Amino acid sequence: MAEVVKELTRKEKEIRELVRAEIPWEPVGPTPMPGIADLRSWDMRLLKTYKPWYAPFCDLCCLCTYGKCDLSQGRRGACGLDIATQQARMILLACLMGCSAHAAHGGHILEYLIEKYGADKKIDMGTYIELEAPNIRTVTGLKPETLGDLKTVIEYVYKEITHLLDSTHFGQEGSYLDYESKALHASMLDHVGMEVADIAQIVGFDFPTSVADTPLVDMGWASVDESKPVILLVGHNPATSTTIIDYLRENGLYDKVEVAGICCTALETTRYSDRAKIVGPLSRQLFYVRTGIADVIVTDEQCIRTDMPIEGDKVGSRVIATLDKAMYGLEDATDWDTEEIVKRMVEDKKHFAILNTKKAAEVAAKVALQVAPQRRKRWITEEEAIELAKKCTNCGMCERVCPNLFSIGDGIVQVAKRNFDLIKEQFNQCIGCGKCEQECPNKVPIFKIMQVAASKETWKIRAGRGAVMDTEIRNVGAPITLGTIPGVLAFVGCSNYPDIDDVADMVYEFARRKYIVTLTGCAAMVAGMKKFENGKTVYELFPPEFDAGGVLNVGSCVSNAHISGAAIKIANIFAALPLRANYEVMADYVLNRVGACGIAWGAMSQKAASIGTGFNRLGIPVLLGPHSSKYRRLYLSRKEDDDWTVMDARKREIVDSGEPSPEHIAYVCETKEKAMVMIPKLCIRKNDTPQGRSIKLNHYISLYKKYMGGGLPEDVHLFIRRDADIPLVYKKEVRAYLKEIDWQPKEPVGLPTLIGTYPTKVPLEAVIH
Amino acid sequence: MAVVPFHRVNVLTGIKASRIIEDPVQCADLILKARRPLLVLGAKLIEWSVDGKLALEYALDIARAARIPACGTAHVKGKMVELGVSPDSVYDAVEIVNALKDPDWRGVKKEGNHDLVIFLGVRSDLEEQCLSVLKHFAYKHLRTMTLDKYYFPHANYSLPNFKKDEQWRGFLEELIANLRKER
Ligand code: SF4
Ligand code: SF4
Ligand code: SF4
Repeated sequence: MAEVVKELTRKEKEIRELVRAEIPWEPVGPTPMPGIADLRSWDMRLLKTYKPWYAPFCDLCCLCTYGKCDLSQGRRGACGLDIATQQARMILLACLMGCSAHAAHGGHILEYLIEKYGADKKIDMGTYIELEAPNIRTVTGLKPETLGDLKTVIEYVYKEITHLLDSTHFGQEGSYLDYESKALHASMLDHVGMEVADIAQIVGFDFPTSVADTPLVDMGWASVDESKPVILLVGHNPATSTTIIDYLRENGLYDKVEVAGICCTALETTRYSDRAKIVGPLSRQLFYVRTGIADVIVTDEQCIRTDMPIEGDKVGSRVIATLDKAMYGLEDATDWDTEEIVKRMVEDKKHFAILNTKKAAEVAAKVALQVAPQRRKRWITEEEAIELAKKCTNCGMCERVCPNLFSIGDGIVQVAKRNFDLIKEQFNQCIGCGKCEQECPNKVPIFKIMQVAASKETWKIRAGRGAVMDTEIRNVGAPITLGTIPGVLAFVGCSNYPDIDDVADMVYEFARRKYIVTLTGCAAMVAGMKKFENGKTVYELFPPEFDAGGVLNVGSCVSNAHISGAAIKIANIFAALPLRANYEVMADYVLNRVGACGIAWGAMSQKAASIGTGFNRLGIPVLLGPHSSKYRRLYLSRKEDDDWTVMDARKREIVDSGEPSPEHIAYVCETKEKAMVMIPKLCIRKNDTPQGRSIKLNHYISLYKKYMGGGLPEDVHLFIRRDADIPLVYKKEVRAYLKEIDWQPKEPVGLPTLIGTYPTKVPLEAVIH
Repeated sequence: MAVVPFHRVNVLTGIKASRIIEDPVQCADLILKARRPLLVLGAKLIEWSVDGKLALEYALDIARAARIPACGTAHVKGKMVELGVSPDSVYDAVEIVNALKDPDWRGVKKEGNHDLVIFLGVRSDLEEQCLSVLKHFAYKHLRTMTLDKYYFPHANYSLPNFKKDEQWRGFLEELIANLRKER
């Protein structure tokens, strides 16, 4: 194609320098280090089919002193804003919070590691990973070789965050679609920031990489030896936790102290030491803290309770805040003498902020060793629980404040009658918010009583393995894009689900059906907290490879970048499409040809919002649990009415495929049962071969029959192009149905792409491989 | 004082709150006055029962008495089939709402969009969000009602918070009787 020669602007020259454009590992694509408007046309094309669906929490906007402004029934605020645009603005803010959390996490880890090893430390992801940074290379155009290069990348992310945040100021942006495009931009950057963070961690802390069968590690509070001093790590950033382990090892104390974690720090710590223990996901944070088992609680960042020192005081646990993002108003003891801090914490029961990791590690170990013998730690007995439960009058106040909408009071009443069945069931639904206990007029110690409901089981989870290997992608690229591996699933996000067993049930169902199941974060933990046949968890039952039927714990929240990265790797390694600064081509490939689906069943945080929205921009649909309607925005199509036109790049003509694949890209499901039916559908892609399509439809139909009372899915005809697409076992039934509705066969699309259906700088040749 | 919704995660912050309908006769009138009502049935209907009768059965009685088409959300369809009824349409809550907000949608019977949508049994946080979508983006062509046991501020018409299941059942039974009578 003839290139339009145009003068490079100063900004473009600067970017080309930053990404070392002169090094020709691949030609530099159209969008190196894209700014806000550079991928806007791709976003607008996505949003044309997957329109934003807004569920406002309130009628008002109260973001400036011109307000509050009533935005209901078509009204506009004093600045001219309407209700849809206000929702989109809030979504952008949420995505920016998420993106900043990971970017700042990455930035902090980088600072820490550069201080330790220097900026020239080489990035080496092991023998089987040459494409070390698919997100970074695709978005920025830079092939990062050192920690210093990662710093260049994170500075680009920081800069974009500033511009995006600016757009949420009073006035300015007046289009919800543009705000959505900005949210998609922020969330794409989130995947870049996460990739920076996890590559730095893998390189700097020697986390597993280029390996599938990482060790099986222990999970559950019962795996914590409570007779020893216990250090509990809460948060996401492994700088302090790894230093604590180093300190204990170096001082011969690792046998004498238990190191346990909640949330992602726990996952990170087990990537560093397979002897560390995972207590559980975020939803168990308050519960476990209130047992008082922890002698010292060490917090870092993200998803830590904001009342940790108050909760610590209640049970006598000492708290150390180790990162400036969460200092809780504590005295900053970073420059104090270590022994002085230890003394004050032990004798005066004080909590401190200590922003030096080494010092924090030493203090944590010393305080734990000294206070543990003084503290009385035990779980309450059934008899004690029965006595405490007698205070409950079943007034129902706890039910009214419960965000998971159930009545723990009913369970408490049963405990008073010596029956523990209901409360055990309810403990599985409890997301650990603590609102019930706070509201109870009779001061029933609900969390204490729940101790008798808490399972004393232990489970096995595989330590996070980091990126999918290039070799694995070579093996499965073809079956994934042809459809014979029916889908790649990513269970991600937090623990705000209707029931703690849901994720494990879904993983089990789809691994058995030979989907590739990847997991991160709290979802990775809870998937392991249920035992199936022979008392085994999904991590013990299924192989750890990125292959049909594999179940992979990729790692923590920041490891989500390896899942989006795997999708990009399929386009680059398997389909040989250049990725360098070529985001649109990668996203178009993934949307149309990679049958991947994210499941954020318990998504809760703003980080989950940006992780999910980042998947969306890359063309990966995300199915969310019922609480996620509270994010206020989904991206839904209407299958009968929307435009399913694509370009057939082989024929170079625009065709109406009539096929809603994928049907939605951000979608809320009310129940696990319905999710089981939607997941196989969201893995259907237009380029499935007849064999691949019939395998995918086989799962869709059989799960539909299982959960929807028999019959055929109402929309099954939309996914059948020719008779060969119909799964063998359902041939007769489906043919009869197709005849009844006068279905007509249609030509499968040879090489489906959206390029060529909307204004873009990307030429059609760019998607043909 | 403003009514506080039963589940407090659903508290309204705004200008327009729903009108409380305490009289089953008035409720029946509102339903029968609608030209093209639609009943949206949520998954709680297969969990809840009142005096041994599944809440879903009350919902189906309403549909039958008023001849209202029903949309089964989540996996409600399975239970409906077991009870010998097939839903007039199957969508998830967010999908039916997505269609309803388009004034040009043809409706589940392909006769035109609905003018009244009645929610029953969607989990309350999701139902409240769905009602909010319609309140803000469908107010010109659609009224919303909920027949759940609790008050929903984002609807046009809502029942009050019933203290006891029996009161709710009483309301529903009278409503059904009135729908039958007035039809
Ligand atoms: S930002 Fe606009 S809509 Fe919001 S309060 Fe200010 S003037 Fe009103
Ligand atoms: S609020 Fe307290 S007294 Fe009331 S039902 Fe709940 S636990 Fe019992
Ligand atoms: S702590 Fe559990 S039971 Fe209590 S309000 Fe929160 S989710 Fe409900």
